[in-house]
Amino acid sequence: MSRIYGDPIEVWTRDAEPARFVWRDRLYVVRRVLDHWVTSREWWRVSENDPGERRFWRVEASPGGQTGSYELRFDTASGGWLLLRAWD
Amino acid sequence: MFPHLHVASAYSLRYGSSFPRELVLRAAEHEMDILALTDRDGMYGAVKHVQACSDTGVRPVVGVDMALRSPGDDPAIRGAGAGRSARGDGEDRVTVLARAGGWAHLCRLTTAAHHAGDRGEPRVTRDLVAQHADGLLVMLGPRSDVGRAVAARRDEHARALLAAWRAAVPDVVVEVVDQYGYRESNTALRMLVLAESAGVPAVLTNAVRHLDPGDYRVGNVLDAARKLVPLHPRHLEHSASHAYLKSGKEMWQVASRICGGDRDRARGLLARTRQVAERCVLDPLEILALRNDPERVHLPEVGGDPVSRLRHRCEDGLLDRGLERSRDARDRLEAELHIIEKKQLSGYFIAVSGITDMIRDMGVRCAIRGSGAGSLVNYLIRIGEVNPLHHGLLMERFLSEGRKGLPDIDVDVESARRLDCYRAILERYGESRVACVSMMETYRARSAIRDVGAAMGLPPHEIDVIAKAFPHIRARQIRSALTDLPELRGSGLGDRALETMFRIAEKLDGLPRHIALHPCGVLVGNSGLRDRTPVERSLLEFPMSQFDKEDVEEVGLLKLDVLGVRMQSAMAYALSEIKRVDDQDIDLDRGVPHDDQATYDMICTGRTLGCFQIESPGQRELVAKLEPRTMHDLIVDISLFRPGPVNSDMVTPYLEARHGWREPYYPHPKLRASLLETHGVVVFHEQVLKVVDAMTGCGLSEAERIRRDLGTPEGRERVLAWWEDKVLPEFDRETTDRAWKVLDAFGAFGFCKAHAAAFALPTYQSAWLKRHHAAAFFAGVLTHEPGMYPNRVILDEARQCGVAVLPLDVNHSGRTWLVERGHPEPREPSEEEPVGPLGLLVPGSPVSDELSPRRIGEGYGLRVPFSSVKGISEAEVERMVAGRPYTSLADFWERARPSRPVAERIVQVGGVDALYGLHPGGPRWRPGELTRRDLLAQVGALHRASSSGVTPGRRTRAGYRSRPGQSPSRYGEPGSGSGGTTPVETAPAVQIPMGFAERIEPGELPEMTEAEAVEAELEILGMDVSRHVIRFHDELLDAIGVVRSNELLTMRNGAEILVAGVKVATQTPAVRSGQRVVFTTLDDSTGPIDLTFFESVQGHCAATVFGSWLMVAKGVVRRVGARAVSLRALDCWNLVELDEAWRTGGMDKVWAMLGAVRRETGGVGGRRIEYGNGYRLSPYADNGAPPGSRTPPRKLWHASPGSSGGL
Repeated sequence: MSRIYGDPIEVWTRDAEPARFVWRDRLYVVRRVLDHWVTSREWWRVSENDPGERRFWRVEASPGGQTGSYELRFDTASGGWLLLRAWD
Repeated sequence: MFPHLHVASAYSLRYGSSFPRELVLRAAEHEMDILALTDRDGMYGAVKHVQACSDTGVRPVVGVDMALRSPGDDPAIRGAGAGRSARGDGEDRVTVLARAGGWAHLCRLTTAAHHAGDRGEPRVTRDLVAQHADGLLVMLGPRSDVGRAVAARRDEHARALLAAWRAAVPDVVVEVVDQYGYRESNTALRMLVLAESAGVPAVLTNAVRHLDPGDYRVGNVLDAARKLVPLHPRHLEHSASHAYLKSGKEMWQVASRICGGDRDRARGLLARTRQVAERCVLDPLEILALRNDPERVHLPEVGGDPVSRLRHRCEDGLLDRGLERSRDARDRLEAELHIIEKKQLSGYFIAVSGITDMIRDMGVRCAIRGSGAGSLVNYLIRIGEVNPLHHGLLMERFLSEGRKGLPDIDVDVESARRLDCYRAILERYGESRVACVSMMETYRARSAIRDVGAAMGLPPHEIDVIAKAFPHIRARQIRSALTDLPELRGSGLGDRALETMFRIAEKLDGLPRHIALHPCGVLVGNSGLRDRTPVERSLLEFPMSQFDKEDVEEVGLLKLDVLGVRMQSAMAYALSEIKRVDDQDIDLDRGVPHDDQATYDMICTGRTLGCFQIESPGQRELVAKLEPRTMHDLIVDISLFRPGPVNSDMVTPYLEARHGWREPYYPHPKLRASLLETHGVVVFHEQVLKVVDAMTGCGLSEAERIRRDLGTPEGRERVLAWWEDKVLPEFDRETTDRAWKVLDAFGAFGFCKAHAAAFALPTYQSAWLKRHHAAAFFAGVLTHEPGMYPNRVILDEARQCGVAVLPLDVNHSGRTWLVERGHPEPREPSEEEPVGPLGLLVPGSPVSDELSPRRIGEGYGLRVPFSSVKGISEAEVERMVAGRPYTSLADFWERARPSRPVAERIVQVGGVDALYGLHPGGPRWRPGELTRRDLLAQVGALHRASSSGVTPGRRTRAGYRSRPGQSPSRYGEPGSGSGGTTPVETAPAVQIPMGFAERIEPGELPEMTEAEAVEAELEILGMDVSRHVIRFHDELLDAIGVVRSNELLTMRNGAEILVAGVKVATQTPAVRSGQRVVFTTLDDSTGPIDLTFFESVQGHCAATVFGSWLMVAKGVVRRVGARAVSLRALDCWNLVELDEAWRTGGMDKVWAMLGAVRRETGGVGGRRIEYGNGYRLSPYADNGAPPGSRTPPRKLWHASPGSSGGL
C-alpha cells in the first residue's frame, strides 16, 4: 500500500545517487536503488540555463530495522528534493 | 571501445540536431573507432558521414532508420489526418544497416521504400527488406513491432514476430535501448531475454538524436514542428535528454543498469555489439570515388569507343566552325583532348552534346554558361556558342590535370521549358540512369520563426507578420537583428512576450528543414546509378537523388547543370512575337551581328531596363560610365560588377585608363601581355592565372590550383608562403607585393572571364532585341518576368520607348502579352516637352534625335493579357481566348463562363469598354450614358439569373442561343468614335435572358473617376495601365518642388533636392566599406531615380524605405557619368502620409513634416565580417530581397467624395 506525500526532504548523494535522506526528523539509509528515471520539464517556460529535468529514484531504505520503498524526486530548476511516495 | 550503431543526425529531418561531422569528431574524442549514421527515412547525410569518418580515421557504418508499414496501413485507405499522425512517433520503425559491401543494397532498399510509400513518407515491409537482405542487417529495437510487443508484455506475439523476421532476413539482431525513461530498463531487460532465448544476437545502442544532453530542447521543438502539435509535455518524448552521443563509460553504465548489475551479462552485450559493428564497417574508398587514385567516375554508356567518337565530332566541328585551317585551334584542341582522354572523360562530352542537341531540336533556346565556355571542345561539338579563342579564354579554368573531380558543364535553357528538358533527358536515358540532384533547405530566420511560432500556438497571421518583418538572415541572428537594424528597433518585436519564441527559433539555425529539387543539377549515369545513390520522388515526380551537389561529385557521379533562365524564355517569346506580327525570322545566335552600334548607343545611355545582367541601378550607372562598344567591353562590364573587383578597387582605375584620363599601369613589362586587354587592371580569373604563371613559371594548371586555394583562410596562408618562395628573382620586392595584394583581394570573389563571356552573349542579344524589336522584347519580358523590377516598371519603360500600352480587351487580349501593330503612342497633352527621360536628349547633341527612345518602339502596342487579372484560373483564360470574339458582356458571360469576381474585375479594368465605347474619366461621359458601374451591375444580374435556375443549365449548355428580349445594344451606342470596335447591332443574338433578369438602367451609376480606374488596375492587374500612379500627386509634388527624373541631369552636382516616385527596387548588396547600404530605385513616370541610403541616415529612414510604396526623398545630387545621376539620400517620407497631411492640414502641415528634424535613432549595428584580405562585410548585406512593401497598399489616396463604396 503506497501513500503520496510530496514532502520536501534533505538528501545526501554519492555518485550522483541518493545515499541518505532525512524525512520527518528520521534518517533513512538507502540500501538499494530499485529504479531511476528522468523526465523533462517545460523548459520553454523556465530560464535558459536550467536543464529542466526531474530525476526520480525509487529506493529501498531503512530508518532502522525495517525496510521500505520510497520514491524521491530531484528538480534541477529548484535544486530541491521531494519525497513523493512511500510503501510500507 | 563502444560503437554507436543507431545515430540520427540533422539529416533526419526535423528529428536530429547535429551534423555528421560533429558526431564523428565527438566519437573520435571518445576514442571510438567505429560510428554509424542511421538517419531516418534516407541517406541524406551518408556521404558526409563517410567523408568525415575517412578524414578522422573512424570506420564508418551506414544505415537507415525506416518506418514499417503495418499490415492494415494502406495509403489508399488512410485519410489525410491519418497520414499526419503517421509522421509522429506512432509508427513502427526498424533500423537497416549496410553490411560490409552492402552500400548498393542499402541504396536500392531506400529507393524502393520511397517508391512504396506516399511521397515523403517512405515505408518498408518485411518482404521489401527481404528482397534486399543480401547485403543488409536489420536491427529490431524498442520502436520495432517486436519491441512494441515486448513493451506491451505480449511475449508470445513478440516471439512470433521475431521468428517471422528471422525467416525473412538472414541477418537480424535485437536492439536494446535504455534512455532512463520510466520502466525503460525493465523493458530493455526483457528484450535482452527475448533475444537470448531465441538465439538472436542483441546489441546495445543509445538511439542517438543529439550531440550534447542539452540539445534535447531543440529536439522538442523539432518534434513539435514535425508532428504539427503545440510544444506541450503531452506530445514530447520523455527522456529525450539522454538521447545524446554518450561516451563508452556512460554506455557501460547503461549496459549494467539494464543487466541489473550482472557484469558478465553486460560485458556480453557490449561484446556482441562490437561484433555486429565490425561486420558492418564500410570501406570509405568504395563510396568516395574521387578519393581513389586514379579517380573512379561513373560515366554514361555511349555506343562505341568514346575516344574516337569525340575526336571525330571535334574534327567535324573544326570544319563546321570554319576553323580547319587555324593552327591555334588545332593546338588548343589537341591540348584539351589530351587532358580529356587522360581523365577518361570523352564519354561525358559526347553525352552532354547529345543532350544539348536534343534540347535545341525541341526548339528550346540553350546557351552554355560558366567556365565550360572556356573549352574549345565545347564550342566545336556545339555544347556552347562561345568561341574561347576569340576572347582569350583558358581551358584550365574549366578542366586541368591538377584539378580533382569532374568538370562542370552548365547550360542555360528557357525557364518555362526547363522541366520539358528534364523529361526529355529522362526519356532518352531512362529512369534508372538519370536523377535530379537535391538540396537541403535549412532553417533561416523566417522559416524558424514560422515553425516555432506554430509550435507555440501563435495565430498564423501574426506569425506571418513577424516572419516577414525580418530580412533574409540566419536564424541565429534574430535577436541581434532586433537591436541592430533600425527598421526592427521601432517595430515592437522586441517585446518580452516574443523573446522566448525568438530564443527557441535561434536554436534551429542551419538545421535541414526539407529536401527540394536542386534548381539545375541533373545526374546522367549508367545502369549502376541506383547502386550509388538512393533516389526518391520530387514534388513533381522527378526521380531525385538524396545527395546534394557536393555529395554526387564525391561519389563520382556526373552532373550536368541545366538551369532555367527566364531571359531565355523572354527572348524566345519575343522571337515568336516578331514572327507572328511582322513575319520575320530572326536567328538570334547566328543571324545577328555582334557589333551593332545602335544597340551599343542605347546601352551607353544607361537605357537598359529589362536587359539581361545590366538593368540594376548599379549596372546602369556602370554601363553609362564604361560606355561599352564591343562584346569584349560587355564582358569586362559584367566582370567588374562583382564584389571582387569592387572590393579591390578596380573599377575606378579601369575606367580612368579606358577613357584615357590616366596612363595604363603595368607592374612589370612581363605582365603587360596578360593585362593589356583591361588596361593594366586585373579583372578576370584568367588574368590571375596568367599573372601567377608569368611570375612563377608554374604553368596554368598549377596556377588554377593556387587560385582555388585562395578561397579559404588556411589556403590563403599556404599560397602566401608558396608565393614568397616561387616568385622568380627577376621581379623586385615591390612588384611581388603589389601582385600579391591584387591576387589576395581577388582570390575569393573574382569572376571567370569564360563565365562573363557566356553571360555577355544573352546580355547583348537582349539589348539588341530591345533596340530593334522593342515591343516584342517587352512582351517577352512582361510575360516571363526575368528581371528584378516589377512589371509596372517594365510597362513604363515600354511607354517611354514609344510602345503603346493597350488596356485589357476581351476581344484582343490573349493568354500572354501580345504585340499589336499600328498603334501610335497616345501622347498625353501635358507631355509636350521634347526632352526624353534620363536626359537622353542632351540639348545640342547631334545624335539625340536618332537616339530618341520614343522612336525605338513606335508603331506597336502591347496588350494586357487575361492572365494578369488577379484570381483568374488557367481554365478561364483558355475559355476566354478560345471564345473570342465576343459581341457583348452577356455573350462573354455565356461562352467564356468566368467566375463572377473575375468577370467583375475584367469589367472594372475596362475589359469590355471597347464593346460599349466607354471612356472612364474621359470628357465624353455624361449622366445617362452607360458606365462601367452599370456593366458591373449587369454582371450581378447575369450571375443571379444563371444561378436562379430560370433558364436551366444555360451556362453549360451551348443550346441556349436566342430569346426574345432586349438587345445588348441597348447598353449605349457601341463604339462611338473609339475606332476599331465592333458594332454590336450586327452581332448574332446572344443575349442575357432579360425577360427573367433584373433590368439595369444605363447611367444610373456614375462612371469611375480616372483615379478609381487606376486604383482598380493596380489592385487587379498589379500595374497602372491607363495612367502613371504618381500623376495623381502632381499637384502636391509641384507644390513642394519635387525634381523629376528627366530633369535630374540639369541639376548641379551637390545640390540638395526632393524627388518622388513609386519604389520599384530595393537592394542591400555587399559593398566595400562593410556598411549595409540600401539602394532604392524610384519611378516617377519620367524615368528611374536611384537613391543610396548610407548607414548614417538609416536610423530615421529605414522603416520608411522598407515600409512605403510611394515615397518622397531628399538627397544630394551626385553625377556619376556623362549621362547618369544618382542621389545620396538624406531623408525620406511616405508620400501617402504627406498627401494625407496636405489634405487635412494644408501646405503648412506638409512643410512641417518635411522640415522636422529627425530624432537620431542610431545607425545599423552588428559586427562586420572581416576577411583575411581586409575585406569587410555587413552581416546584413546581400541577403536577398529585403522585407517590406513591394506591392501597392490597399489605399493609395483619399477616395474622392461621392465615389461609391459599394463596388
